Amino acid sequence: MFDIRRTESGDILMSGRLDASQAEKARAVLRTIEKSCVLDLKHLEYISSLGLGVLLEAQKRLSDAGAGLTLKNLSEHLREVFHLAGFHNVFNIE
Amino acid sequence: MDRAFRREIAALDDVFRSVDEFLSAHGIDARTQLTAKLVVEELFTNFVRHDVGGRDEVALSLATDGDRLIIRLKDFDVDPFDLSEAEPVDIHLPLARRKVGGLGLHLVRNLVDELRYDYDDRVLSVTAIKNLERRDV
Repeated sequence: MFDIRRTESGDILMSGRLDASQAEKARAVLRTIEKSCVLDLKHLEYISSLGLGVLLEAQKRLSDAGAGLTLKNLSEHLREVFHLAGFHNVFNIE
Repeated sequence: MDRAFRREIAALDDVFRSVDEFLSAHGIDARTQLTAKLVVEELFTNFVRHDVGGRDEVALSLATDGDRLIIRLKDFDVDPFDLSEAEPVDIHLPLARRKVGGLGLHLVRNLVDELRYDYDDRVLSVTAIKNLERRDV
């Protein structure tokens, strides 16, 4: 089960398991972002390479427009995966 | 555990369900469970996306051997396809030069302790071994 929605504060909240079967659902929401934004991953349990690709694609698009994504509330597992993917070099991670 | 799954992304829910059952039944810690699921998904989706012919199903087996978790996926009646020759990912490139794809095998290589590729009699077999933390039994 994966869910992605915008909170009242304007952050994007992801929860559940972002696997290959859910990547398009994430992509559809992230494509609507037009300015810098926070992704709250507090309830995201799991992410695989296709999910990472969706995040990277959004970051590249926003960067071209002078904006970017900030990732926050990563679990220990997500931090390890993001680090292995080199995302600490291309995202602002809180 | 030995099971066959339809060669399609939509089969991932079934794959995860079986992996969850096995890992929980064998007392694997939560963090290793997440790692194991990631390895299984990456290898499974790799087989699906690089469909090189073969049967409609992919075989997955999970086993423990002492303090090791052994994950093996097999693709049957396929042409040779050497995953070990996949182009490495440079995670140090600046954002503008980063490619969006290719992270799956990179993650697998870095998350497991041993990764083997075998091809024989038109069967491609990928074996990933993860050393387990010592468990109190």
